[in-house]
Amino acid sequence: MDTSQYLDIFLDESKEHLQNLSDQIMELEQNPENMDTVNEIFRAAHSLKGMAGTMGYKRMQTLTHDMENVFSEVRNGTFKVQPGMIDILFRSLDALEEYVDNIQQTTEEGTNDNQDLIDALNSILKNNGEIKPISKSESAAPAESSAPAGGSDTKQPRWGEMKISDTERMLVEKAYNEGLKAYGITVYVEEACVLKAARAFLVFKALEKLGEVIVSNPTAQDIEDEKFDLTFSLVFISGNTVDEVRAAVKSVSEIEEVFCDTYQLEAASEPGHQEPEKEKEEEAAVEQPKPAASAPAAAPTPAAASKPAAANKPAGKPVVNRTVRVDIEKLDNLMNLVSELIIAKNSLIAATAAEGKGDNGNAVNEQIEYLESVTTNLHESVMKVRMVPIESVVAKFPRMIRDLSKKLGKKMELYMTGEDTELDRTVVDEIGDPLMHMLRNSADHGLEPNDVRVANGKPEVGSIFLDAYQDGNNVVIEVRDDGAGINIEAVKQKGIERGIITPEQAETMTDKEVIDLLFMPSFSTAKKVSDVSGRGVGLDVVKSKIESLSGEVEVKNSYGEGSAWIIRLPLTLAIIQALMVVVGEEKYAIALGSIQTIEDVSPEDIKLVQAKEVIHIRGTVIPIIRLNKVLDIPPREDENQNLTVIIVRKGDKQAGLVVDELIGQQEVVIKSMGKYIKVPKMISGATILGDGEVALILDTNALL
Amino acid sequence: MDEVKVMDEQQRNESLNRHVELDTTQFIVAQLGGEQYGIDIKYISNIIRMSRITRVPKVSDYIVGVINVRGIVIPTISLRLKMGLPGDEITKKTRIIILTLEQHESIGVLVDEVKEVVTLDEEHIERVGYEKDDKERFLSGIGKTEGRLISLLDITSVLADVMES
Repeated sequence: MDTSQYLDIFLDESKEHLQNLSDQIMELEQNPENMDTVNEIFRAAHSLKGMAGTMGYKRMQTLTHDMENVFSEVRNGTFKVQPGMIDILFRSLDALEEYVDNIQQTTEEGTNDNQDLIDALNSILKNNGEIKPISKSESAAPAESSAPAGGSDTKQPRWGEMKISDTERMLVEKAYNEGLKAYGITVYVEEACVLKAARAFLVFKALEKLGEVIVSNPTAQDIEDEKFDLTFSLVFISGNTVDEVRAAVKSVSEIEEVFCDTYQLEAASEPGHQEPEKEKEEEAAVEQPKPAASAPAAAPTPAAASKPAAANKPAGKPVVNRTVRVDIEKLDNLMNLVSELIIAKNSLIAATAAEGKGDNGNAVNEQIEYLESVTTNLHESVMKVRMVPIESVVAKFPRMIRDLSKKLGKKMELYMTGEDTELDRTVVDEIGDPLMHMLRNSADHGLEPNDVRVANGKPEVGSIFLDAYQDGNNVVIEVRDDGAGINIEAVKQKGIERGIITPEQAETMTDKEVIDLLFMPSFSTAKKVSDVSGRGVGLDVVKSKIESLSGEVEVKNSYGEGSAWIIRLPLTLAIIQALMVVVGEEKYAIALGSIQTIEDVSPEDIKLVQAKEVIHIRGTVIPIIRLNKVLDIPPREDENQNLTVIIVRKGDKQAGLVVDELIGQQEVVIKSMGKYIKVPKMISGATILGDGEVALILDTNALL
Repeated sequence: MDEVKVMDEQQRNESLNRHVELDTTQFIVAQLGGEQYGIDIKYISNIIRMSRITRVPKVSDYIVGVINVRGIVIPTISLRLKMGLPGDEITKKTRIIILTLEQHESIGVLVDEVKEVVTLDEEHIERVGYEKDDKERFLSGIGKTEGRLISLLDITSVLADVMES
């Protein structure tokens, strides 16, 4: 049991609570009277305070404490939510987030006291509620101290109820023979304690310095997994006195009560026979500042000291919502093994095909098909494990838009759908910044000022939409706004000013080419530079980021009515369904996702348009790309035969790739080619075929 | 695909230790045209027989393609082309020496034949002067053993432009 595990849980849960707070405060801003929201905020702030206190983050605890006080009064109806309050609350949330970030990076909360916020919160209490902050903290304290007072009657030493085995009995006897003492200890943890297991762990740590814990009830593992109520008992062997042992246990904060006395072996058979003295921590008010004061010093110590202890215990498994936290590296490892398995399966298929169809061919094929379905399912399951909803990323956007709205002085609303759309974890981690850039872009450049909107007959409040959905093997995330759209002429003008294009070029450019200019580094059409957007860093970063994730960005523009920015990302990065083709003597893989149809084309059907080969298929003119030319492969000599043309698409662009043969569909594992080879853009990677040969994977997007 | 495992980790460490103690270096001797070249054994992770090489379009001439070594795709270069010699003729004796210069990053080097392992004392190695001509800029010195001369390859400069990319 390592406290760093609790740190993870603490971080995760803090972030959850902060997000929850943020959502609820936004809600509160809309409906200041909603008591459910106030209650929810109060609860979240209270949990956060408790957690911060337990982990010893004093500053964070103080700030949440003051927030909680404000809500406590709102809840009691002493005063109402004011608009000014919301801003202070949001700023407090930002400060809390900063603490959490600091903790995540350094395990320390940092040194910023945020005294201004604390003062602001306290002045809310003073001015609106006519209640002094001091009396507040007192009013909060009794709520916690009342519980111990009420429940103390039933508290009693319970080590007598423990069953002990013969071995343990022998250990106790041996201890007495050696002049050591055996103690029975029953510990009651405070009801308000959030991380009970952490407290229990600290008790164990404290005791291990003095002697040896022989047996505990519940078992050490159960305690570690937090499978106990508020109490646990143990038998402990030590050379120290009762008082020293008791003092050691009581040095742990949030321990409400400790019973400790010499352990009599007969006690096991006669429960309740002992009349141990009873020690009680009286005041929660005294207790309250204590964890805060002692924790900063104590926090690093258990982390360091617990390592040797952790080594001889089975790896702890924090149980949160019936999930298991797994290191992403382990998942990557699992994924690699699945990849290997798929390669092995492909080899098996290739080998049996080469062997020919013997008598038992059917039986073998059946088994191979079975193996194939198992590996495919296994692959999908592992992929699913790696998938997380994009919610974790997009949840912060409503707040961001709210802030932007204030900062820019424009009224706007963000509408989101598909937050539960799932993507590979690695992609989700990377997608936040590009989306943020695009939203800011929409808010700043896209939406017109409110008066202009009204003049143009649009609703005063601008709308920004963020829609995510799955589309085949891709996930699409669309950022849309009902603003002015992209002014093509303004972009051209800017391009000329910047010397990126010449006026002559501007004449002949298509709208799409003009829009592509926006993705060039150092291009910004904003008339004034604000700290929201407009420094020209952004869209080019967005594009390169998305491309590094094997995705693409597309822009749909309608001048005067708004624009849509569409990000298309692959579901998976490691294994794809591909069509294997032969060009000349070489085999290539083409991702199935980009293939539309496969056509058999007679050489006469190929026409020349502006010296480029095209074909007419069902009313569309599609340019032809001869792969052997692109890939420097000598052409085959069967010129007059029909051509096999694979129609691929990227967004609304199409092209026909001429290949010599089709092998068939296959699941391929994308392998890196190492950094010692600089491959052209049209090769996106390599894969290993069933017979051990390496085939290259064509990136059709780069060909278009 | 037969594989000749050159040495495992322990042997490698031993050889490194010996290197420190006796100031000797072990080289794998490879035949290339009429000459023999030595490659410091510490870079070599594996020597394999010729296997199917997949050509990669639009890369430098001396990169012959990529191969599959136990599930890992490794780029392979022709030492002959790199050294300005005529192109490779693949025979039964052709070998691919797998060099590992950084962790998880390997490269294959195509040679005519792998001869043996020699151990050279520092005193039997003649360092090449600063004025190196085209071919010699890839050499770290000339080794003398049993009356033969072996050109010792400075692998990092042979692969300098590969490693940069």
